Amino acid sequence: MKKYILLMPSRHQINLQKLLLSTINYCGPLTKISPNKSIYLFIIGLFISTRLQAQTPSDALMMKSNQLCILLDYNYSSFDHYWEGELRRNNETIAMVKRNSVMPMVAIGIFDDLNFYAGVPYIKTESTEPNGGKFAGASGFQDLSIALKYRWLNKQFEKGELSGLATIGFSTPITNYLPDYMPYSIGSGAPELSYRAIVEYKNIKDWYFRGAGTYLWRGYAEAERDYYYNNGSYYTPWMDVPNAFSTEFVVGKWLFSKSLQIQVSYFGSKSLSGDDIRPYNPAQPTNKVNIDRIGIFSHYFFANVTGLGIVVYHNRIVAGRNAPHMNTTGMGLTYYFNYRK
Amino acid sequence: MKNKNIKLIYSLFALLFLSSCEKELPTYFNFEGYEFASSEPDGGTWTPILINSGDEINIPAPEPANSASYLQEIEDLKVEMAQMSEADASAVTYWTQNPIIRWNEIALELIAKYNLIPGPNDDGSYTLPNPSNPNGSPAFPFAHPPYAVRALAYLSVAQFDGLISAWHHKLAFNRSAPFIEDESIQPAYSDNVNLSYPSDGAVLASVSRRILTQMFPLEAEYLAEREEEHLRSLLLSGANVQSDIDAGMLIGDAISSIALARAANDGMKNAQAPKAVSDSLAEAAQNSFGWKWVNVEIPKRPVGLTPLFSQVQMWSVDNVELTRPIPPPAIGSAEYEKDVAILQDHADNITEEKRRIVNFWQDGLGTYTPPGHWNEFAKEFIVKYRLNPLRSARTFAYLNMAMMDGGISCWDAKYYYHYPRPIQVIEGFKTIAGTPNFPAYTSGHSVFSAAGAEVLAYIFPQEASLVRGWALEAAISRVYGGIHWSFDATVGTDQGIDVAQYTISTAQNDGAD
Repeated sequence: MKKYILLMPSRHQINLQKLLLSTINYCGPLTKISPNKSIYLFIIGLFISTRLQAQTPSDALMMKSNQLCILLDYNYSSFDHYWEGELRRNNETIAMVKRNSVMPMVAIGIFDDLNFYAGVPYIKTESTEPNGGKFAGASGFQDLSIALKYRWLNKQFEKGELSGLATIGFSTPITNYLPDYMPYSIGSGAPELSYRAIVEYKNIKDWYFRGAGTYLWRGYAEAERDYYYNNGSYYTPWMDVPNAFSTEFVVGKWLFSKSLQIQVSYFGSKSLSGDDIRPYNPAQPTNKVNIDRIGIFSHYFFANVTGLGIVVYHNRIVAGRNAPHMNTTGMGLTYYFNYRK
Repeated sequence: MKNKNIKLIYSLFALLFLSSCEKELPTYFNFEGYEFASSEPDGGTWTPILINSGDEINIPAPEPANSASYLQEIEDLKVEMAQMSEADASAVTYWTQNPIIRWNEIALELIAKYNLIPGPNDDGSYTLPNPSNPNGSPAFPFAHPPYAVRALAYLSVAQFDGLISAWHHKLAFNRSAPFIEDESIQPAYSDNVNLSYPSDGAVLASVSRRILTQMFPLEAEYLAEREEEHLRSLLLSGANVQSDIDAGMLIGDAISSIALARAANDGMKNAQAPKAVSDSLAEAAQNSFGWKWVNVEIPKRPVGLTPLFSQVQMWSVDNVELTRPIPPPAIGSAEYEKDVAILQDHADNITEEKRRIVNFWQDGLGTYTPPGHWNEFAKEFIVKYRLNPLRSARTFAYLNMAMMDGGISCWDAKYYYHYPRPIQVIEGFKTIAGTPNFPAYTSGHSVFSAAGAEVLAYIFPQEASLVRGWALEAAISRVYGGIHWSFDATVGTDQGIDVAQYTISTAQNDGAD
């Protein structure tokens, strides 16, 4: 649109500004360490945004320096209730919102203690019929995510082993999808940096216990309007997507000579700022989004096809704020091979 | 190896400290104070809207410049200015010497805050906001476009009339501003109105607080705080002494009472008609034309938005029917079918450019509405062309009068023709914009925008082709969005241009040109 008075900076310029500003105006140390998200389960950012968070089929396991893994994931999510602030409600204007997502991802062992990941999901959203709003859904490629995971601790004990890992991730939209089109937006529209710490203990009976914390820095999403309300007027198309902390706790077990992995998890995420969805109004990228989610996950490696595996998972958001009351079911294929000697 | 690990952990922590500091995004129009393009020595003789002339409101004569009381006021002012806090200084900078900009922004913010459509109750019924129980729920008001444009019109008209009266008295009493009377006073702004009695800023503060408090009763406390901050800034800027401010508030009080008396009886309180009246309008259209608009929300809303807004008293048009457009194409006619094909083509082939146009002009629920958008444009032109406070008020007044008249005329067409929305009559049709709760023909965006553009083209002729282009884009945005027929937009644009001429005629004869 014709911005005739203000010259608009580009998306990269303004997000870089935000990043630099927050570095310079450093506001104080983080008092807590953060949280994370689960493997395979994409963060539920704003309503139904999904992101890859440097997941690997088995989070605390590192791939060897010559290994490469390809994952093709599909999942389906839906919700017909959501939290407007803390009020759980339905809304016949949108009826039930469905989201289908397909994501190819690659994981590469660079060194035994350093892995690289990249992936980008394709997402499609729509409402079920009948609905009162008659809105068109949205679809497209969402955000490219890349991540590096480093194992800084790997200690053997008599009765088990302890590993510690750290992940730095970055993601950014690769298409011009509209984040300001809730609840059909396919993503939050903002670049994201994530810093995660992971600790896992595995005992000799192949039970494992994992905890992870992630801090998520998020940039601006660009709306296609130059005014919006966020507890006051904002005369800009740039919407500040709140930063967040997330935590994850996992208990799992390897079975059948490590050919089957089963785990249950809790995942919680909290925005560090943001406004509430206003009554009977759509969500927007500036919202404070909190969720508590539980999930189950399984990964099976075929004995007769070397390197091939299948993952199946299901998770449910059980509590939230400005979040969809959403269930997700997904499955994927993994294939490992040596890409060099 | 160990060293490497420690280094890595350290750098991770360093990165973690990229913390969540808030970033600066503009929450108001940040402009430098500027020199006024003109000083308007004849402004007091201009013809106001609500009263016959600026001298109709009386204020007491000021104490002479050499009087003990005035000299004391100057001394008091100097003491106050010397003790300015940091908060005071930033308030002075914020309000500027053209504070109508800020009051207009406050109005837009309240519109956006209250522009929330009530949702259904658990039993599927809907409750309407009730001015006698503003806390609700739902809270009063629902600041939809007709409500918003009317609030803006009363605000702007009362501001304009109040300033004409202030200008009249400034010239009549001829009291110089404190920074002229006493050279040791440094004015905060690069330019000021040199005659200070009564204070034009105080007129604006008092008028704006009173009109907006009536329109947004739950904001009484907030608005009183803004008024107080503004009045204090007038002193601290060195532009006014307390007696200037007191006199300005007298004018503000008088003119807002007159404006609010008109508002109380302009017909708005009956605009949200009961279901029986609403149904009879639909049946009348069904009988005359063979169609009627139906709300398709779930649960269905029993009454559309303000079916009788058409009956609200207009500013410049004697009879709304003078501005009623021709009938729309009959449902099923060749022209109608052609439009169905146009809409389906837009829906199937939405480009990024069309999507941006839809969203840029959407100004839907939760925003300042289309009239608010045109006030924002006006604000930016006022600063660009360095208008003084009186000419700024004149711009907002005619802009909002024309848009309110446009809205009334548009609502007359909407409920007279009662034409269906695309989602009602095209099977399986989906939109990328929200379909509003009122009939399609003609498009409110088109009428508001064309009327607003015509007034801005009259006041800022250098921008005429630009603003008229925007109005056309605002109109077509609704067609791209799938919620309006193309004839809703084209006929609506003509309707807005037509209605605006009535207000522009008034403007051309008010003595300012």
